[in-house]
Amino acid sequence: MAVTAQDVRVLRLAEVWKSFDGVHALKGVTFEAQAGEIHALLGENGAGKSTLMAIAAGSLRPDRGRMELRGEPVEDATPAAIRQRGLSIAYQHPALVPDLTVAENIAMWLPSQVRSAGKGAAAWMRSQLARVGCTAGLGQRVSSLNVAQRQLLEVAKALAADPAVLILDEPTAALGADNSATLFAELRRLAAAGVAVVYITHRLAEVRELCQQVTVLRDGTVRGSLPVADVSDAQLLELIVGRAVTTEFPPKTAAAATERPVLDVKDLSARAFHDVSLTANAGEIVGLAGIVGNGQSEFLRALAGLGHASGTVTVRETALRTGRPEAALKAGVVYLSADRLGEGLFGTLSVRENALVSVLGQFSRGGLTNLRAETRAVEREQKELSIKASSPESNVLSLSGGNQQKVLLARALLNQRATLLLADEPTQGVDVGARAEIYRILRQVAASGTAVVIVSSDIRELEGLCDRVVVFSSGHAVAELRGSEVREDAIAHAMLTSTRGRRQEESRSGAPEGALGRLGGWLRRAGRGDYAACAVLAAAIVVLALYTQGHNSRYLSSFNLTSLTVLIAALAFISFGQECAILTGGIDLSVGPLAGLVVVIGSFFENAGHSVGVLVAGFLIMLAVGLAVGLLNGSMVQFARFTPIVATLVTYIAIQGISLVLRPFQGGYISFSIIKAINRSAGPVAIAFLLAVVVAVAMEGALHRSRWGRNIRAIGSDRAAAFRLGVRPAVTVVGAYVASSLFACVGGVLLMAQVGVGDPTQGVTYTLASVTAVVLGGTSIFGGRGSFIGALLGAILVEQLLNVTTFLQLSQAWQYWFQGVLVIVAVGIYTQARARSGGGLAQVTAG
Amino acid sequence: MGDMVGARPTSRAQAWGAEVAALSRFLALHWRRSAGIWVATGLLFAASKVFQPQSLGSSSLAALWPFAAVLILAAIGQTLVVQQRGIDLSVPGFISLTVVLVTHLPNGNSAKLGPAILLAYAISLAAGLANGLLITRVGITPIVQTLGMNAILYGINLGISQGTPTQTTHALQSFASTSPAGIPLPLIIAVAAVIITELIVKRTSSGRRFEASGANAAAGSAAGLRGNRYQVSAYLGAALLYCTAGVLLAGIVSQPDPFQGDNYLLPSVAAVALGGTSLLGGRGSVVASAVGALFLSQLQQFVLATGASAAVQNLVQAGALALAVTVYGLRLRPGRLLGRWRGRPSAATQPAEAGDTGPGPYDGRAPATKGQTGRASP
Repeated sequence: MAVTAQDVRVLRLAEVWKSFDGVHALKGVTFEAQAGEIHALLGENGAGKSTLMAIAAGSLRPDRGRMELRGEPVEDATPAAIRQRGLSIAYQHPALVPDLTVAENIAMWLPSQVRSAGKGAAAWMRSQLARVGCTAGLGQRVSSLNVAQRQLLEVAKALAADPAVLILDEPTAALGADNSATLFAELRRLAAAGVAVVYITHRLAEVRELCQQVTVLRDGTVRGSLPVADVSDAQLLELIVGRAVTTEFPPKTAAAATERPVLDVKDLSARAFHDVSLTANAGEIVGLAGIVGNGQSEFLRALAGLGHASGTVTVRETALRTGRPEAALKAGVVYLSADRLGEGLFGTLSVRENALVSVLGQFSRGGLTNLRAETRAVEREQKELSIKASSPESNVLSLSGGNQQKVLLARALLNQRATLLLADEPTQGVDVGARAEIYRILRQVAASGTAVVIVSSDIRELEGLCDRVVVFSSGHAVAELRGSEVREDAIAHAMLTSTRGRRQEESRSGAPEGALGRLGGWLRRAGRGDYAACAVLAAAIVVLALYTQGHNSRYLSSFNLTSLTVLIAALAFISFGQECAILTGGIDLSVGPLAGLVVVIGSFFENAGHSVGVLVAGFLIMLAVGLAVGLLNGSMVQFARFTPIVATLVTYIAIQGISLVLRPFQGGYISFSIIKAINRSAGPVAIAFLLAVVVAVAMEGALHRSRWGRNIRAIGSDRAAAFRLGVRPAVTVVGAYVASSLFACVGGVLLMAQVGVGDPTQGVTYTLASVTAVVLGGTSIFGGRGSFIGALLGAILVEQLLNVTTFLQLSQAWQYWFQGVLVIVAVGIYTQARARSGGGLAQVTAG
Repeated sequence: MGDMVGARPTSRAQAWGAEVAALSRFLALHWRRSAGIWVATGLLFAASKVFQPQSLGSSSLAALWPFAAVLILAAIGQTLVVQQRGIDLSVPGFISLTVVLVTHLPNGNSAKLGPAILLAYAISLAAGLANGLLITRVGITPIVQTLGMNAILYGINLGISQGTPTQTTHALQSFASTSPAGIPLPLIIAVAAVIITELIVKRTSSGRRFEASGANAAAGSAAGLRGNRYQVSAYLGAALLYCTAGVLLAGIVSQPDPFQGDNYLLPSVAAVALGGTSLLGGRGSVVASAVGALFLSQLQQFVLATGASAAVQNLVQAGALALAVTVYGLRLRPGRLLGRWRGRPSAATQPAEAGDTGPGPYDGRAPATKGQTGRASP
């Protein structure tokens, strides 16, 4: 994209402020990027780099500040609008929807002027992937890609948008040397062509190699912006770490190395780290250093029992099995996660409950907990650690970050059996004042005879706090510094100059051999293909039909086929509605009663002797009711933040009530000519059924080919990524519930022709039947992937089973049995299959 | 408050003072969420007294208490499941099957009632265990699992009953209609169940861990709690309570039909929501849920007394649930806080997780059905 000499400053962010619940992430940051230049953005974790760039990309809204893009002010920044104006970003955590294919993810990202269609599109996309060395196939689901391929796809996607401003957030974090070199060459070429590139990184070597200008952020403020050639590595480090802020560290104690170690790890290996051996003694603080993502956090987690690893972990001479957090707790291991809100605190509980959760046994008398003893203990720690909370009963989230962290540290001090404290980034998100106190507490914990192991990306912290530092690189412990060696420059040197290249991530290892392995392989394949379920269903339908025919020759009679296909059509349409709701990751319980309400409404209008006007009015009212129910469901879910199940449970019951109010008893016979019209058949097959087939095929096409289909699957698969890709959640979700209700109404009309009379109890059973049909068809109950043809086949099998019970002279009870067992077995098999095929990975990241 | 912190009481009077202060703080902070339902229930009874006095007449009360007792039992069972981030759609199946087992098997013969009740408990516990294990081990979502289990329980039910009602046994009827000290026995049983459940959840170590694990399973694992165990125990406890509700119901109604439990699904969820327990799991109060159940039962009496049809009940209950969720949803401050915090795209917070609660940077949140592997939300 050509840029004239007058507007070289293609991106300008001025005086940008952003805070998260009172914590300032950005304090008046001004940042400019020039055309034709690669501009490095440096800073520690939490310095505000990613926040700033998320604001530039429109996925976060600043509290204050201005933004100009290519010389024009940006007013309403949405991800799609920003992209349209020539800014493209590759996020550190890729904005990719796991259940969609590579091609679909790219297509969603492209601004309209770049979008190409037709035969050339696939070849063009492949060329875009090749630019950065991404080897993923266009038709592959993102969930099946490894981390490196996802990162490359994220970059390729950003480049493909042909931007004037390109932002890359730590793109090489997961890449090997080859891929990095390819990427760098491509970036240089882009800069030469006049693109402004903003490059976020931790690696100084990359800055030297690639960038012309560098800006350093620290604590949400710009600390310097200058040409790379004018600054030394030492000066950059100083800007990043910040000499000005002095934090007082407690004095180090002489390491008690003579003792037998509290923690003794030998050759521990897992996916993220390899052959790590480590000891920690009582009274000692050991630091694990390394650039984020080099395996040190995963190693710490494994010690806490979160995640399996091979090798031996011994705590106080007791061997510890990995993957068992309760065993770790029993051995006296206390773990503090870096993700304090997600994995540390119990957000709805009080300070007291948070501090005592793992040591409740110490405060029980006669099996009952003792509020007074608990309160006293927590108040003591509160005073000891100067935790600023109005009382032990305060909600833990009402505390500041530093005080929250102190509450978690109190867990180690309150635990009489504590032997080992593991803390991942103990001062992350903690303001400067509270840091010193946390250091003091960590020392205090160590002094009490507990070994302390911390992971930190803050080198100064490691220097000031730790008796010993082990440096991680690419999952290996590459250096150990002790005593006077524990210095900032030495740690930084070991971290940044490690020559060990990152291992290319291995592809998923094969399943174990043998019968179980074969089953696993089958499950994986079944989970991967959308249509595996369809094939199985079709086979089941045929086998069941032949079996029943063998027992009762009237089964395949024309009469039975006609009535069966009408019933199938009714369930199929209701299931199409359910499919829409479930694809978004929701559920619609109200479809059954809604179909029933349509029957009741019909019993007032569609009677013999009514004029055409009344008949038409009846259908219009059904349509209006369906629209209203859909809007109500969608609004409750999207705007009032009801869970889908509660929202639709409300309408489920309310609609039943309305039906009962309108028709307390059966009544209102449907006109015979209308019944005949709806039940018309072509040969033995009902026209309505053929219509359902046509609709299923059309919807299936729309689901995979249209923007609507892509959006609905994206929302169901990963809502946050979908938003960053430009999907509007409100329109998509409310639309899905409206579609659900309208399909249920069509089903209700078909049901009306079957029932023939206003009956308030009809329809209710269709809720379970529709859920069963949908999940039988292979649709993920978590949303994001599914098939309308699958739902149709599911509906056929369900109705067939219900029908078969009468032909095999089974009681009504069997109808319930079949459906209950079917739905559980189907979801169980698919859930397991997806967990094995890698779809489960997507669930974990989306969760 | 600062001067109180850590102060060692020196005399007995001071000790009592500190005790009372701690307890009152505890009550003030922990009962805040459930205060609403106490007030609402008080107002409802006052309004009943003024506008529909006959809804508090002796015959109405005689009808209120036993049915309220059944709903209370169902509601506290539902509370346990909801606290573990689930929802139980199999309440009707459990209650209806129990009713059928204890009426059809004895078929009027009081001597056979005991074994029938034991069988009902055995089947209920087995079904509850199946719910818990399939949800935790196989990873089936609670919605689908309990929806399917409901159908399976109805399958057993109809296999036994053929869909027809039977006269209940004399023994069960007289048991359910006794009133020691003027208090109906079903109510005594329900209140006892509430007290026992509340004691277990709030005052034992396991119960407290149960609540914490429900509030945030990931934090629970990091702190060494076994989340799966608590989830399974919720479904087991719930099954026990539903079965008790079914036994009582079979004694209260002289000729209970095999679909008797259908009336308890929505009210059980509504009572939980009215009691202030977040439908996304975590902290809950079985006492508040029980009060919520009482509120709904009296609301039913009130609406009946106005002469409205039974069908209107559905609308009123649906409205009560919607209102409760909306009101508590608006008040849920920590949830909003957490939502915004998580919206921060920092290294510590995966943007993909940002949507679990509240308004993040984007206009939406992960739906509740994602909760299987997701993190708990308040």
